[in-house]
Amino acid sequence: MKLKTKLTLFNTISKLVIVILFVLLLPAIIQNINKNYTDNRLVKQKDKLLQIVHEQGIQTYIEDGQSYGSYLPLKEEYISLDEVAPDYFLDTIQDEKRLVEKDTIDYRILSHTFKAGNKNYLLEIGKSTETIGETTGPLQNIAFKTLLGMILLTILADIIYANYILRPLSLIIKTKLVGNKFPSFTTYKEVKTTTSDFQHLDISIHQMVETIERAFQKEREFISNASHELMTPISILQSKIENMFEQEDIQDEVKVRLLEMQKILNRLKSITKTLLLISQIENDQFLKEDEIPSHMLLQDVYDEISVRLQEKNISYSVNMPQNVVLINVNKFLLFNLFFNLVNNAIKYNKPDGNIAIAGHMHQQKFTISIADTGIGISEDELPFIFNRFKKLKRSLLHDSFGLGLPIVRSIAIFHNIEIKVTSQKGEGSVFNLIIPAKLIKELPT
Amino acid sequence: MNVLIIEDEKALASELELFFTKNNYLCEVCFNGSDASEKIAVNLYDFILIDLGLPDYEGLDLLKEARKSNPEAACIILTARAEVYDRITGLDMGADDYLAKPFSLLELQSRMQAITRRKFGLVQQVVDLDGFMVNLTDRTITYQHETINSITKKEFDLLAYLILHKNRTLTRAQLSEHIWGSVVNDDYDSNFIDAHIKNIRKKLNAFAPADWLETVRGLGYRIKLNT
Repeated sequence: MKLKTKLTLFNTISKLVIVILFVLLLPAIIQNINKNYTDNRLVKQKDKLLQIVHEQGIQTYIEDGQSYGSYLPLKEEYISLDEVAPDYFLDTIQDEKRLVEKDTIDYRILSHTFKAGNKNYLLEIGKSTETIGETTGPLQNIAFKTLLGMILLTILADIIYANYILRPLSLIIKTKLVGNKFPSFTTYKEVKTTTSDFQHLDISIHQMVETIERAFQKEREFISNASHELMTPISILQSKIENMFEQEDIQDEVKVRLLEMQKILNRLKSITKTLLLISQIENDQFLKEDEIPSHMLLQDVYDEISVRLQEKNISYSVNMPQNVVLINVNKFLLFNLFFNLVNNAIKYNKPDGNIAIAGHMHQQKFTISIADTGIGISEDELPFIFNRFKKLKRSLLHDSFGLGLPIVRSIAIFHNIEIKVTSQKGEGSVFNLIIPAKLIKELPT
Repeated sequence: MNVLIIEDEKALASELELFFTKNNYLCEVCFNGSDASEKIAVNLYDFILIDLGLPDYEGLDLLKEARKSNPEAACIILTARAEVYDRITGLDMGADDYLAKPFSLLELQSRMQAITRRKFGLVQQVVDLDGFMVNLTDRTITYQHETINSITKKEFDLLAYLILHKNRTLTRAQLSEHIWGSVVNDDYDSNFIDAHIKNIRKKLNAFAPADWLETVRGLGYRIKLNT
């Protein structure tokens, strides 16, 4: 989920929770306020009545042995005054029911005893709680609607602001990370922002890319220079050995030793040439403009390699569609890719083994699989087979210097071809090359 | 044949000179570009071998000069700077061939012979090997007017290379460099040349013994040809 979406979601949810909590608490709060207000009024009314009694005497309301009572026509308020026993005492405010003319009504009642003229009186002032509760409902409703509107407004404001403040971040992600191959070898373009965190991020990413780029460049230059510097002395040695080999006065015994030197020199030459090739591929020095039918490419590989099959009596089958043409590729490189894979399939195969090559279209991609019945690759070695100079147990038994699969990988990456390897120790390996739609042209059959 | 060798690595230049002198070429050697430039302007050569990595001169400029004052000469670029870009420009600018260092002297010689054949359009080059008629131009082998079709392209390449360097022992390394030179490969000790030779012998022996294709014990192979 995007940061912006997350922020908006969090804002909305947190605000909604608070509002709902508030709205749910609202009746209790209103009730409490109302109660306090009512109680206050009741006390004030009581004080006023006591003052009247004090100033004008109890007779204003009550004769001897009588009681006084009065209520409003709708019975929402009432007042009563009674004579009680001299030692009776009461001073409370509480909710109680009263029967007023056959109606039982809930009242908030203030009860208070006081003495007047040696007699004890009980005063009750009641206020119907129904009238108190009536206001709660509409208030809750209004509060909920108002708050909801306000929340929507703030969320809108949040989104707009988040959008504005996070724009540099999306810009950094869009222009520097997504879509760009990492490391991207483009020039630095500053993302304009006043947020220091984003400035820091932008510059850090740029610096990291630059560091990686430099490291890449350095490695390339090193490999390339080293190869060149090595090629010249190798060339001199090779010429010298060849010339000595031709000399008539040299005995066969010496010639055999010269031959051994030549072999070793060839090994050095192969390694250097291979490293140079890898560096050239990684340096994008090859064009991808060739076009070749896939079955013909594999035929070329077969022509080149068939002699190697004889030695181990390996059977070789190719099942390729005749209508798939590889386009926008480098023929030389692809040839080398397949040569190395098939060569490995021969090298690590068992005598009388089998190699099966098949190609098929699947979801616009073309997969070529090369399956052998060889010694296989163990699971713990599988992740490392494409590493340079990684000598696996299997290659130690053969004359190999650990650069065959690295070349394959470099060429595959150069063409955006995906390689999937499955292998069963002792059973064989399958190399699947998944060729993207961009490199394929299907001819009508 | 006159050969001008332009190569700043003296050790390599002297080996080239030794090799070509032995093979009856007339050699001149330059160790730097300005000397070479003068020689190119004054003399005429059949072959000019140009090293691109000269300290004082842009090798491709020498090529331009050579094309002007020595239009008949075949120019071969030799370089350790095996950049693909150089190869394309070199050939675009009229080099006849391009050989990346390190190369085999025999390979260089065979390239030069190929250029000669191309340039002078020699008549059909047919070599008679005890009745086997090898036509190097059409790349066919016939025995008593019967064409031997079973020989593959690779096998013919191998035979032609041996014929080109007849009476000379070629090592397996030299032969594989010629046959598999362009393949970048993980093996450094491929003895598949033996398998090829075995196949060639089998195919030829079906017609007549091919004793002229000799195995030189412990060293390599040779085609013996009495001319």
